[in-house]
Amino acid sequence: MEQGRTETAKPEVAEGWEPRIVGFLCYWCSYTGADGAGTARIQYAPNVDIIKVMCSGRIDPELVSTAFAHGADGVMVCGCHIGDCHYINGNHKTMARMPLLKRLLADLGIEPERFRHEWVSAAEGQKFAQLVTEMTEQVRKLGPLNWPGIMHSRGVGHGQDLRPWGE
Amino acid sequence: MDSNGQVSGKLKIGMYWAASCGGCDISLLEIGPHLLELIQVAEVVFWPCAADFKYEDVARYPDGYIDVMFYNGGVRNSEQEEVARLLRKKSKCLVAYGECAVDGGIPALANLKTPEAIYDASYHENPSLDNPDGTEPQPITECPYGELEIPRLYPQVLRLQDVAHADYRIPGCPPSAERVWEVIQLIVGGKVPLENSGVVVGCYDKSVCDECPLEKRMVKIEQFKRIHQARPEPGWCLLEQGIVCMGPATRSGCGALCIKGGVACEGCFGPSGESEDQGTAMIGAISPLLNATTEDRAAELVNQIVDPAGYFYRFTFGSNILRGRK
Amino acid sequence: MTEAMTRNEQVRGEEPRIGVFICHCGGNISDVVDVRRVAEEIGKLPNVAISTTHMFMCSDPGQGLIQEKIKECGLNRVIVAACSPSLHELTFRRTLNRAGLNPYLFEHTNIREQVSWVVEDKELATRKTTRLIRAAIGRIRHLVPLEKRHIPIHPAALVIGGGVAGLTAARDLACRGIEVTLIERGDHLGGRMADLGHIFPTEDQANDLLRPLIQEVLATSKIRVYTHAEIEESAGTIGDFHIKICVGANGKPGEVVEAHVGVIILAIGLEEYAPREGEYGMGLYPQVITLLDLARELVKEKPGQEFTLNGRPIRNVAFLHCVGSRQHHGVHRPGPQGKINDYCSRYCCTGILHSACELKKRYPHLNIYEFFEDIRAYGRGHEEYYTKASEEGVRFVRFDPLRPPCVEKDPRGESPLLVRSIDRLTENMEVEVPADLVVLGIGLQARDMSKLIDLYRCSVGADRFLLEVHPKLRPVELAVSGVFLGGSAQGPMDITEATAAAAAAGSKAAAMITQGEVEMDPFIAKVNEDLCTGCRICLSVCPYDAISRDEEKGIAIISEKLCTGCGTCAASCPSNAIQQLGFNDAEVKSEVLALLGVPEQEPVGA
Repeated sequence: MEQGRTETAKPEVAEGWEPRIVGFLCYWCSYTGADGAGTARIQYAPNVDIIKVMCSGRIDPELVSTAFAHGADGVMVCGCHIGDCHYINGNHKTMARMPLLKRLLADLGIEPERFRHEWVSAAEGQKFAQLVTEMTEQVRKLGPLNWPGIMHSRGVGHGQDLRPWGE
Repeated sequence: MDSNGQVSGKLKIGMYWAASCGGCDISLLEIGPHLLELIQVAEVVFWPCAADFKYEDVARYPDGYIDVMFYNGGVRNSEQEEVARLLRKKSKCLVAYGECAVDGGIPALANLKTPEAIYDASYHENPSLDNPDGTEPQPITECPYGELEIPRLYPQVLRLQDVAHADYRIPGCPPSAERVWEVIQLIVGGKVPLENSGVVVGCYDKSVCDECPLEKRMVKIEQFKRIHQARPEPGWCLLEQGIVCMGPATRSGCGALCIKGGVACEGCFGPSGESEDQGTAMIGAISPLLNATTEDRAAELVNQIVDPAGYFYRFTFGSNILRGRK
Repeated sequence: MTEAMTRNEQVRGEEPRIGVFICHCGGNISDVVDVRRVAEEIGKLPNVAISTTHMFMCSDPGQGLIQEKIKECGLNRVIVAACSPSLHELTFRRTLNRAGLNPYLFEHTNIREQVSWVVEDKELATRKTTRLIRAAIGRIRHLVPLEKRHIPIHPAALVIGGGVAGLTAARDLACRGIEVTLIERGDHLGGRMADLGHIFPTEDQANDLLRPLIQEVLATSKIRVYTHAEIEESAGTIGDFHIKICVGANGKPGEVVEAHVGVIILAIGLEEYAPREGEYGMGLYPQVITLLDLARELVKEKPGQEFTLNGRPIRNVAFLHCVGSRQHHGVHRPGPQGKINDYCSRYCCTGILHSACELKKRYPHLNIYEFFEDIRAYGRGHEEYYTKASEEGVRFVRFDPLRPPCVEKDPRGESPLLVRSIDRLTENMEVEVPADLVVLGIGLQARDMSKLIDLYRCSVGADRFLLEVHPKLRPVELAVSGVFLGGSAQGPMDITEATAAAAAAGSKAAAMITQGEVEMDPFIAKVNEDLCTGCRICLSVCPYDAISRDEEKGIAIISEKLCTGCGTCAASCPSNAIQQLGFNDAEVKSEVLALLGVPEQEPVGA
């Protein structure tokens, strides 16, 4: 690296790149809603891979950061509608976490369209399908996030692999 | 052998400062009278802050010559990485000393800006600059006397363990003198091995709330205030009063000094328990305390917190999960 | 039992040996996903001892295959990639159990409802399947043997509510030899039904049905009955409730009775919608009454008497459907909680038709009009009332829900009131009808159950009624074990439906008592005492108050019985000192990393 200044390289969009979105879904409402889309044979984009938790309240913001940090182009968090939570008000806690989390992600340059938080009921298969397709297209327009690539190019975790001083 | 070429039976110790404020070097002196005990059993073989050692001296030492090397400060440029690797080679035990070396510390706040933004601000946009040609520092510059080489600025501030294996890590900005003395005794006393996996020492397992004298009333936050905007009620948990206190998300071991001094904890000992990210931990701590039943109201409240990223990651942006910005 | 415990201990020390079984589902999956290719790719991953496919994993031979391979390959983890876990997760857990492997060393990956049924492109579907199974492998490496919780159930029941539903449940429980305490807040048994006369569809007299039921309940020594009774205090947890009941007449505090029970049936019923002041003229004109007011009046009226109101003979009666039901934002005023009733109250169409027929029978000269949105006479014997009413000359006007009818004074003074509406049946013609009596077909709504909801942590739906665990699979159970829904506290119901629900609740409660214990999933949260600081943030997030503070140790403790496994505390703890079994940080994070194709142990950017 001979030049003083470094510029963050724009990620190259490989051919055939598909947005990779991690979806955290609560079992009782949103996961079941996603199943409902399947039962109704609604076709939608395959880009959201679902990780099941019992309640959206389980979704620690740490998990959202982890997903982005390790290569997700987008993250979706779904829970039961307010008032419908299987665990009474676990989803209230999810909701309360969202403003700070969204602000933190935005402050770190992650475009708001890459993180979505929605309420999906067990009967809203159609809504889920539309949500997935819509978010996939938005993320596709934004391109890959490639956080590991960005951090790697800045030497995070490995430095410049230099020789010890004097050698 | 020591710098005079004499072989001595004492433990060889040293401290290096990288991207550092010098506070950690001073904090080693804070062990006070114990210094006299320390010099009975140990001799300093490299401490740029306090004595005139050169890198060449260290390069001449046999590998593994230094028993315990304290490295404080973050890794901001190539010199600091090269020296870290040199010290790793020449030391049996390399200790990341202080928050900068452990988690990136204050310097790592620079990682909240992109490298290009830093260059632009420092060399082009700063109002006090006089740089009409838009000159930027270069690693190699031709000048009348020959080639001038300066260390390359890194795109991001790194931790010690990103460039060299650290056997131990002592958090804190600076580390707490009592804790440091305890660690030194363990090492000097042979109670812990010199080689280790990067264990965090010099602190306790619990969060600062454990050492905090303030009382929790289990009430919800109505409004956030900055410390200079509020007159905190004594004896009552600051966070519950709406003053952001990093206590719940910060390791203890400092004795809750800041809180006892009337200000909120800033999180300088790094994340508590098994958390690896103070920011997400604080979201977990603050959100349940908000007096809000709708997302809009919650947003209204948290928007009163000025710069949450900077505040929550004040000391740990080198080691949280995302570690930078796009 | 000891053998299982030994095996569990062994597994903890072993390297994961994972068996992956991918289901064709008779083509449902394999027509889209190339299951054989997936099996081959997965088979190459570390820790996968065997990776194979089968036509129907849930069939006997399919399950047999799992058992066989567990023994043959020494598997200590099993993944089945098939339909949704909601269908067969339990099935496969039992398969593992039979093969001597802890049933919680299992992961069920959904590649049908969430892949083959929704992704058209075969290549994309196949790749998605591989990703999801890879994620499951990441997760399953960290799973450890878990044991279901067994909570003993004290063999006695509390039935709250002495209406027809509560009486039914109490009687059914007593028939099975179970001790029951039945409490009723009001002064009589039989509740709302006792006010009614002829009821649909059987035309029985309500009290002819209630009397023998009440007598049966009072006669048996197995049931203790208290009227004027309310719960003062409820302590204890699942299967072991200690309840203090205050029994007093006329609101005066009387004696306190104690009940020690294992199950509770909530048969507290609901309340009638109270039309707002001025709604359809309610409260403004004395000629506007509710359907249930009318029903209660008709009980008193002797046949043969003239039909009068305040001395004035009634010739024209207008019924208005959907009052306080199927409401729309912007059209109807919200209630005190700021909510509208957007649901259908079920009983009212048939109720109105029944009342209309009843009126016509007694007073054939009456002109009866029904202003309706839809006619929902859905039950057995209900449609007959519609046919009868039509035959008897009841006139039907179909209104637009966004422009409901108006009730106003007749300016010409010929009739006390006029009802005006557009009629969708005649292409929105404006209809005006004189009315001596306007009967509002009021809906039903949830009563204020906040005390019970708080006490027993009931889930509540958006309609404010109590929410069952699952409307088809577990229709009368609440998320808290041992508390059951006995009737219309769950939603608008007629008497038929309420008694059926109560009987179901009684049956479920009895089954629990007979079992002697309830089995609960082991996915509870646990506090790491070394890391817990006692900051008390978790105490404020638990929806079930299952977390309390141990003052001595200064840390949080979680009640194993009360914890329902939502994981909210685990996500809130700033020190990550709380972990949820089955969904701990390592398990979920590994699933995320494996999904993204990241080898574990690698830091970001390396």
